[in-house]
Amino acid sequence: MGPLSRENWAQRVATFRASPSAFMVGPEGEDLGRDLLSDLRSEKLSEQTKVSLLSLSLEYPAQLWPDAPAAEAAATSLLDTLVLLPPRPSALRRPLLLAATTALAAGGALGPTSGASRRLLPLLLGLAVGRDLGRGFGPASEQRPLQATACECLRELESCKPGLLGGCLGLLRGLMGQEGPIQPLSLLLALALRNTLVIKAKARAGLQGLLVAGNSLTEGSPWNWTLAEEGDAHLQPQAPSWSAAEEGECGLAVLEPSPEEARELRAAVAQLLDTSYLLTPAAQAQLLWLLGWAVRGLRGQPPVLFKPQLVRLLGTAQLTLLHAVLALKAAFGEALFTAQDEALLLRRLTLAAQHPALPLPAHLFYLHCLLSFPENWPLGPTGEEAVPLLLGSQLCRGLLPSLLHDPMALLARLHLLCLLCVEDEEKEEKGQDQSLRCYLEELLAGLRQRAALNGGPRALAILCFQASYLVVRCLAGQPMVLTPLTHGLTQLYRAQPALAPHFVDLLDRVGPELGEPLRVALRQEVVSRPGKDEALRWHLQMLAKVANEDAQSATLSFLQAAAAHCLDWGLQQALLQVCQALLRAGVGGGLADLLQVLARQLEDPDGRDHARLYYILLAHLSGPKLGMALGPSLAAPALASSLVAENQGFAAALMVQEAPAPIRLSIGPRRAEGPVPVLQLQVEVLEPVYSLELRFHVERQLYAPVGAVHVPCLCPGRPTSPLLLPLQPRRPAPARLDVRALYTTPTGLTCHAHLPPLPVNFADLFLPFPQPPEGAKVGFFEELWDSCLPEGTESQLWCPLGPHRLEALVSCHLEPFVVVAQAPTSYCIAIRLPPDSRLLLRLEAAHADGVPVALRTDDWAVLPLVGAYLRGLSAAV
Amino acid sequence: MAQRAVWLISHEPGTPLCGTVRFSRRYPTVEKRARVFNGESYVPVPEDGPLLKALLFELRLLDDDKDFAESRDSCSHINKTSIYGLLVGGKELWPVVAFLKNGMIYACVPLVEQTLSPRPPLISISGISQGFELLFGIQDFLYLGQKNDTELYTKLSQLPDLLLQACPFGTLLDANLQNSLDSNNFASVTHPQKQPAWKAGIYKGKPQVSISITEKVKSMQYGKQDIADTWQVVGAVTCKCDLEGSMPNVTISLSLPTNGSPLQDILVHPCVTSLDSAILTSSSIDAMDDSAFSGPYKFPLTPPLESFNLCYYTSQVPVPPILGFYQVKEEEIQLKITVNLKLHESVKNSFEFCEAHIPFYNRGPITHVEYKVSFGQLEVFREKSLLIWIIGQKFPKSMEISLSGTVTFGAKSHEKQPFDQICIGGTAYLKLHFRILDYTLTGCYADQHSVQVFASGKPKISTYRKLISSDYYIWNSKAPAPVTYGSLVL
Repeated sequence: MGPLSRENWAQRVATFRASPSAFMVGPEGEDLGRDLLSDLRSEKLSEQTKVSLLSLSLEYPAQLWPDAPAAEAAATSLLDTLVLLPPRPSALRRPLLLAATTALAAGGALGPTSGASRRLLPLLLGLAVGRDLGRGFGPASEQRPLQATACECLRELESCKPGLLGGCLGLLRGLMGQEGPIQPLSLLLALALRNTLVIKAKARAGLQGLLVAGNSLTEGSPWNWTLAEEGDAHLQPQAPSWSAAEEGECGLAVLEPSPEEARELRAAVAQLLDTSYLLTPAAQAQLLWLLGWAVRGLRGQPPVLFKPQLVRLLGTAQLTLLHAVLALKAAFGEALFTAQDEALLLRRLTLAAQHPALPLPAHLFYLHCLLSFPENWPLGPTGEEAVPLLLGSQLCRGLLPSLLHDPMALLARLHLLCLLCVEDEEKEEKGQDQSLRCYLEELLAGLRQRAALNGGPRALAILCFQASYLVVRCLAGQPMVLTPLTHGLTQLYRAQPALAPHFVDLLDRVGPELGEPLRVALRQEVVSRPGKDEALRWHLQMLAKVANEDAQSATLSFLQAAAAHCLDWGLQQALLQVCQALLRAGVGGGLADLLQVLARQLEDPDGRDHARLYYILLAHLSGPKLGMALGPSLAAPALASSLVAENQGFAAALMVQEAPAPIRLSIGPRRAEGPVPVLQLQVEVLEPVYSLELRFHVERQLYAPVGAVHVPCLCPGRPTSPLLLPLQPRRPAPARLDVRALYTTPTGLTCHAHLPPLPVNFADLFLPFPQPPEGAKVGFFEELWDSCLPEGTESQLWCPLGPHRLEALVSCHLEPFVVVAQAPTSYCIAIRLPPDSRLLLRLEAAHADGVPVALRTDDWAVLPLVGAYLRGLSAAV
Repeated sequence: MAQRAVWLISHEPGTPLCGTVRFSRRYPTVEKRARVFNGESYVPVPEDGPLLKALLFELRLLDDDKDFAESRDSCSHINKTSIYGLLVGGKELWPVVAFLKNGMIYACVPLVEQTLSPRPPLISISGISQGFELLFGIQDFLYLGQKNDTELYTKLSQLPDLLLQACPFGTLLDANLQNSLDSNNFASVTHPQKQPAWKAGIYKGKPQVSISITEKVKSMQYGKQDIADTWQVVGAVTCKCDLEGSMPNVTISLSLPTNGSPLQDILVHPCVTSLDSAILTSSSIDAMDDSAFSGPYKFPLTPPLESFNLCYYTSQVPVPPILGFYQVKEEEIQLKITVNLKLHESVKNSFEFCEAHIPFYNRGPITHVEYKVSFGQLEVFREKSLLIWIIGQKFPKSMEISLSGTVTFGAKSHEKQPFDQICIGGTAYLKLHFRILDYTLTGCYADQHSVQVFASGKPKISTYRKLISSDYYIWNSKAPAPVTYGSLVL
């Protein structure tokens, strides 16, 4: 395909971006990566279009070039395109460098064996150090942006392959003092330094003069991959999680540089910090995170290096900078921040969390930082939000919630208020506590008032319930808070019964401290106000949640009254849900009457059936069994609606569930005795199984139907006696038994499972003839032998067995059927094949390499089976 | 510290999807690191379509929130920060930094350099603050000085190129996108060694410095015995320094008159090179005393090229500039209202404008008004259920003005009349809007002598001041009103 026009590309890119996965499975998907690379060199496309193509490759290299070889080829092509650019200014050089870097790093192609890597790395380094790469790399005016871009590319490659630039540390450090863009070089040096320290620490090696080495990379010399390979290509967190780092996972603690190395290191870090004010705030923050954690574990590297930066940083409102200061605080604790410093930092955070000049998301993040503040001497358990010790309630006044706040701010501040209430309770400073608690109560009352508004947005209700939940979670132990809360919520329900789903959700999530009293209060509220309007639906939903064995008569009379108004299917179902809840709670007599009335009176046949079913269950099942039948299913996934979930549990308990069987059946040793063949079944279970019933079905009806086998109880690991399964063959032929199991699980569910079919082999049907008296054996056999003909048939087979193997074969498989034996060479064998056939074998005159087998049977149909059987035996022995 | 992806989504209620992805950018090298770092807990960044849906659902911005949906509306699903977990394809993508501002949703996914289960605390993830900074930067770029939608779309179309400069691999280099835009224009200038990264080039031209102080005053007045009125001044000092040289040093001082109110809670721009500890520690969260630092507030700095906010402060002035009283009595079908306003004698009595807006929420349209004003005129907006009392440029000599009247309302129809979740029952407010030029309530000023410039040439220095009202509420004293903890008289 020739080059696409600008419009074609624009359309193609837009379609791709709308859904890359859909585009890639479409007809054009396969060619996109190739077309893109070739059209970058097309002279018909403008630079602007080409930049948009490169942008696409920066975002979706994995889709365009899905594997490492493709990525390698793409990077090579991009580098070729770069080299071929004419020497005039071009907007393509930067994106080409970025795209080649992205293709290599994201495609997993970066490495010593990759040709593109071997080209790209020296090129980037050359650009980064400001080496003159000739006019092909554009005019002088473009050099500085290219230099910065090359640094960024190297930094990204170092991020993806730590240690890559370990060999260039000295070179990079040398550049710091010279002309060049300060920010990209600083960040690159800081990252390379950090990664080198981590890798060296892991290898328990020193820095080996890496920081002072001069320009070791001359043009044309191979790239030094040693350190990247020492690092074992493990990614290094640039800013490790604090908790992980505290456990020593950043691995720096073991690095003990020599005094000279320590001095060099300190000088390098100090140099980076001294010029850090020339960096943008975001870049300064990155530098501080990197250096903070790099220096933290090194012995002999006091953190005072950072001190001169702190005052400047604390004065700003930049989120990144204050966050970086907090990271330093977490890294160094008291070594960098005295108690006074800690107090100052807390004050700055507190004011930043409420400063009117800052946006809401920043306020919320600062508030989070306050409650997760890395204190010098934390009192509580780590990982839990708490008010820092140095931040008394006096300082938090401005951070308390009010109804005018945005919901997120209100919840965040409410959490703080709750924590302060808890703290004051512990300190028993009652004065302050009471005012805080009163304020909390008023706030909650205001939230409830708004939630009760007719036609108000749902968000108001959600906020009210979230606030109530938060308060209960923090202040569960304070009846002074919970009592008015219970009362207030009950009033809210009275004002706005449509909030029933929120109440049900709240009751599901809070503990008994609020749950119990609220249940009682809500039940009283519902049953004391018989409704017949819109609210009835909510009352019934509420009651299904809160009804139990208490206050039965009031509940039942409410339901009786309500039944008359339950005219549609939905209301009737809601009513029956309450009945079900009562059934589960073990409510008896009055409920039976109600159910009987409902079974007659309800208009909807489905409702009547349900009522009747509940009545039957109530009348016939004992309490525990009823609970089991109605209990929620453990297997059922939690669904959004509690109605559906309950219904599922109920159905699950009453219905047979299809399940993968926890049962394994196998056929044990043969028992060649008795009038009919009997299979010995071994049963193993993986979990306790009760009332097991095994049902068998014989394929093609070769045998008479097999009766079911019942086992009362089976437990894993407990030995069981084999199950005997008598067979009544209609023809002497092997068959397969289809097996199904029906059993009850420990949770009370009845399950049904299909087990793998059991094969009944030909030999499983063998039965011996009654043993004749000792002297008459030969005669008995000869008589049988003769009786087979003329109706039956005769055959000869050759079994390739030596005499000793013949003996082993007979004793293993045919012992019960031997009538006459002259071991080890000669055997006469008589086998009864139910229902009424016989099979006679003569194994005589065994040779060194085999034995001829003469056989007779009165049923010619078994001949092929016998042949297969014998061949199988001789092959097996 | 890197971002895995960034999105801008316009919120369009009423349309089928309720939003459109206006801009998105993915960072595949960061995504690759995320896969390694997050291990088993890795959840890939989704395509734009599924992300849009999941984000709008989580932010409750879909139009379908009529019914209770447990996964979103449950009482235990509490978000206290602008950081969310999004359900995408049955897995939860976390952390997603997102916020809505001016109808635009700003979102990004920071890289977490460890496993996500258990979730590490937010405070320990460096990418969170970097993500916020990037989104704030984009927001500033889009909306600062933006006048209309066309301009917005022009700026949106510039974003891909700008992010290629400011955040080429997902690691933020500069949140100030205007700076990236300018650096394209300054590309040909030779850069000296110590060129700060936040300064795109060097100014050539007449040296001049402009400093403007804008104070906003907010207030909550209740007219009640047991609730204290509150008021606060928030100041912002904006500077533009057009000075030659790569790193000109400037010191700007803010001064107060002898009876001025001390500045507190001072937050400075990162270009300020050092800070007096008295400035750092003067804070409104401590109890005030007479020893409070009252200036001059010196800010030594190296200015960036563009206009910047040198500092923000708050202040607690002794009295509110306008003291108000508002009373609403419900009499059968009409409301009887009384308003008294008094300008404090110390305040400059020369307004650019001064108005009192008196809204009536959760009621029908106004059908009839009878009123008497001692000063100014009253405008009636019947459909909006709003009265605007235009006070004008000056209070009369007595400094006191009053309004009284009765307002009758028609039947409530939900579409037109405003709903308010605060003004329930008798709860009502009036809100003052005013602006006074060449004046600050704290007295704070910067004069020509307070600016020291260490650069070639004597710059022309211009200074501006203004006071504007913001959230200046006077509540109906006859009904409950929302209070803050600080206004409870304990």
